Formats: sequence, C-alpha cells, structure tokens
Amino acid sequence: MRKYSPLTIISFIFAIVFFLSPLIAASEYSFRGLNGVGHSLINYTWIIHQSGFYNNLAVSLRLAFVTVLLVMVLLVPTVVYLHLGGRKWRRVVEFFCLIPIVIPVVSLAIGAQVAMPKWLQSTSYELCFFYVIVAMPYVYRALDIGLQSIPLQTLVEASQSLGASWFTTLRRVILPAIASAMTGALFITIALTLGEYTLASLLHFRTFPTWVTNVSQENILGAVALSVATLVGAWLILLILAFIPKFKRNRKGVLAHG
Amino acid sequence: MAKDMHGSTVEFEHVTRSFGTVKALNSFSLTLNPGELVTLLGPSGCGKTTALRILAGIDRDYSGKVEIDGKSMKNVNASQRNIGMVFQAYSLFPNMTASENVQYGLRVRGVDSAKREKRADELLEMVGLSTQANRRPNQLSGGQQQRVALARALAIEPRVLLLDEPLSALDAQVRTTLRDEIRRLQTRLGITTLFVTHDQEEAMAISDRVGVMNHGNLEQIDIPGNLYNKPKSTFVAGFVGLTNRIPALVESKGEVMVLNQILEISEHSESVKKGEEVRALVRPENISVEKSSSSLASTVITKSFLGPMTRVGIDVGMDELIYAEMSSKEAKKLDTGDSVKLHIAAEAVMVESV
Repeated sequence: MRKYSPLTIISFIFAIVFFLSPLIAASEYSFRGLNGVGHSLINYTWIIHQSGFYNNLAVSLRLAFVTVLLVMVLLVPTVVYLHLGGRKWRRVVEFFCLIPIVIPVVSLAIGAQVAMPKWLQSTSYELCFFYVIVAMPYVYRALDIGLQSIPLQTLVEASQSLGASWFTTLRRVILPAIASAMTGALFITIALTLGEYTLASLLHFRTFPTWVTNVSQENILGAVALSVATLVGAWLILLILAFIPKFKRNRKGVLAHG
Repeated sequence: MAKDMHGSTVEFEHVTRSFGTVKALNSFSLTLNPGELVTLLGPSGCGKTTALRILAGIDRDYSGKVEIDGKSMKNVNASQRNIGMVFQAYSLFPNMTASENVQYGLRVRGVDSAKREKRADELLEMVGLSTQANRRPNQLSGGQQQRVALARALAIEPRVLLLDEPLSALDAQVRTTLRDEIRRLQTRLGITTLFVTHDQEEAMAISDRVGVMNHGNLEQIDIPGNLYNKPKSTFVAGFVGLTNRIPALVESKGEVMVLNQILEISEHSESVKKGEEVRALVRPENISVEKSSSSLASTVITKSFLGPMTRVGIDVGMDELIYAEMSSKEAKKLDTGDSVKLHIAAEAVMVESV
C-alpha cells in the first residue's frame, strides 16, 4: 500500500477541515427550527413559499442554458482550429481569453454595455454575453487541456481519409473524444452563471442570486438554507452531466453485446 | 470474407513541395502499378511522408501532378479520394469500439447498420481480432490497435492503401508478425499500396519495389535485391545495408587501391581523378578474413553473433573499424585479439570523394 508522508496527511486533513467545516456548519444552521430552536425543514419550506423563487430560478436557468450554448459554439471550433491549422494565433487568443480575469467586473459591466445593441439592453439575455466573457478563461483552459490529451491531428486525418466531412469529424470524433473536458467547461459556465451577482445587480436585472440577496435580508436562516440548496443543486447538475456520457456508453455496450 | 479489391495506378509527376526555403519534395516522380506494394525508404526529413500525405489529400499545397487511374487529384478532397490510410501514431477513435472504428468509413457513406456490422465482422476476423470487436482502443495492445486500424482502412474498399510507418511504435516481435500479415493481406486483396518507413529490413522484406529518398529526391527505385547489389548512387549504397567506407587512392581513371588491393571502380561512382584520396564502399560480406602471423596485420576487436552469420570488427589502423561478415561456423576459428589479413572479394567497388 502506498505510504503518505505526515506532511501530506496533515495538509489533507487541513484541506478537509478548511473546505468542509463551513459547509457542515451552514447545513446544520439551515436545519434549525423556529427562532433557532431544535431542527426542522422549516427554512427550506420557507424558501419555496417566497414569491419570485420559481420565476427567478427559471430566469437564471434560462440564462445558464443560453450562455452554455454561446460559449460552446464560440470556443469549441476556435480551440479546435487553434490546435490544427491556427497554431500561430494561439498566443493571441490565450491573451484575449485571460483579459476577463484582470478586468474588474464593474469596468466590464459599464464599458461593455455601451457596445451592446439597444434591443439587447432591454432584455436579461444581455447578461449572457457578459457571462460568456467571464467564463471564457476557464472554458478555454478546460477545452485546451482536453484537446492536448488526444492526438487531434491524427484523428482528424484518419476521419477525413475515411470520407468524413469536417462537420462529421467534429460531431462523431472530436466532441466525443473531449467529452469530459466539455463537461468540465459546461459545469464551470453553469456554476458561474447561477452564482453571478455583481453584473446582474449593476445592470439592474433580476436573477436568482439578486433575488437571494434581497430575500436573505428578511430571514437569515432562510438565506443560509437557500445557499445550501443552491450548492446542492449545482452539485446535482454536475453529477448528472458527469454521468450522462457513462450512461450512454453503458447502454450502447449492452446493445452491442445483446 | 471481404471481397477482393482491384488495384489502381498511381502517378506522381514532377511533384514539388516546399516548406519555406526547404524543398521536402523536389520534382518527385513515381508510378505505382495496380496491385503493387512500393515502399519509400529514407532518413528522417527526406520527404517520404510528404509524398504520402500529398497522395492522401491531407497536403494539397504542391506543384506538379498526382493522378489515380489517370484522374488528377488536384481538386479532390481527402474525404473524396477513397484512400485507406494507417498512421504511425495509434489513430483509433477513442470513443468507439474496435467494431465501430471499422464501421466508421461505411457509416459516413450511409451504409445501413446490418451491412456495416457484417463487413466489420469479416474484416476483424481477417486481422484475427473477431473476439475483440467490442473492446475500446485503450483495452487493446499496440499491435491489436494497428490491426484494427488496418481493418478500418480496408473497410471502405479503398483504391489505394497508404501505410505511414504503421509498425514503428511496436516491439520487434509484433512488428515482424504484423509486417508479414500486411503483406499477406495486400497480396490477397491486390490493392495498390504505398508504404513509408525508415526501417530498411521492413522495406526489403515486404515490398515489390523500394524507392530510396534523400533530400526530397527519389535516388533510386528498384526491386530490393538490385537496390542492395546494384546501387546507383553512393547514398543508396551507404544507406541500404551495412557498408564499410574504407580510405582508398585512385590509381587510374578506372582503378582504385583499397587495402593494398587494386580494384575496378564501379559505374554510378562519383567522378574522381587520378591520385585523389577517396573512400571505397565495401559490403561486409565482400571482405574475407584469414589468420596471419605478420606483425603488420590487422586485429580482431569485436565479434557479433547474428545467428547463421557473425560480424567481425577489425582494426586496420583507421579511425573506424572495418566490418566483415562470415558464416558463424567459419567465425569460430577467430577470436578477439587475433591478427588477421583482409581481402576484398569483389571485382569492382563504388567510390565517393572525401
């Protein structure tokens, strides 16, 4: 059995305590009963009875869906191109993808909004374009690592020599080969979109995070329950996304054997 | 069983491909006859893979003519050429099983699933992998992956088969077995095949003809025996097989003195002048060795057992050893440290300028 050094074990325990203790404390707190006495589900039932819960959640989910779509359509072909013929542009694109990290969200919101067309400014879907910019550094990195881990050039050439078009090669060979990287990128985008508060607040849009902030001022226990529920919800989405490819693969395997 | 295919004629005519100032192919011309297996052999960077990629349609930035069955390929995409290709790197699609990989080319052609599966079963059986059909590439060994890649390339019934160093990543034993299987299948199917390798043993073993390339030029194309015994340039003589380069002196226009022997200068040698110091190219099997008691004799330094033959390295007072090959039975009479006398058992030798 592999032996770990005492320093590794201590670091590991420290990391667990550091990350898990706030979560455990918050979960315990969220189950406290009326006026903090005993334990019950009262704070969770309170959340779903608040007006605007479903509407704002639906808005954020819609924005997350559109953002995921936009970021994938924009970045998947771009990163594939950079790995094949466009290597000379790689540094330039990497630079542009890193800019959102160093630009404060306030400057982004005020600066970039001026560039948005008027018709878009009036709808919450405007936020999707900002979310794409914010998610770009993380999504780019995830896809880049995914593509580096496969012999892309050879796979593309093999597919084309067998008669496949570019679109077929992308759909049947490249995308399945980087499915786990795409799942990672997808989760980052969804997590960013569902948790983003500053941009929505600065641009005066009502999304789930801004609604949570408003509601939390009335009931602190309810607000904690809401945060825990949001976290669990995000994890559930990740689990589902992570298991879809495996489930599909297993089904295929069963059919192939059967 | 897979139905037999009919080979096509492939023609390269004065094909030139440059990368910046470097000419990867320099007016390269070659004809492959139907059903023939031609190997392009040469050192790294000689242009052999470039020629193959041009024929595959992966590289289309060239001048000159490339034709298959008399039809120019200039404006034909890689996906429309109907050429099967096996790559050096393992190129199986990681998300598909062995069977799905073989079916891929048929699937993009819209062949229905029953026919696809039948064809994949036939081909996997042909390459000896019928029991591995549902395995993914990461569950197969390197040799098995290349077999699947071969089956996948053959599934589309290609006009031409291209093999880009498909054995170089495999260990020696698998390489020999797979090389013989490739040849057996190629002969049986009668498919025109262009094989690229830097391994001369591989090239000599399976090819109808071998083309030796150097700096983008086809130095010589011939049957393996002629390439070895009748090289048409000093590069080919030096590249194909083991060759001693022994310092020599030109005695007259057609004669050279090598190891105190006067020999004829063979045709295809570089042009040399009387009195010029040159190097004579002598095959190890053309050097005979016998024991000597003379104090001026040469000394046996190394003995390498190669099965039926033994290679002996002899110090004749030059920077490099001279190698001689003899039957292992004969070599038993010699030991390292023995004094020996050398004799070149050839009427003519090829010479090159120093």
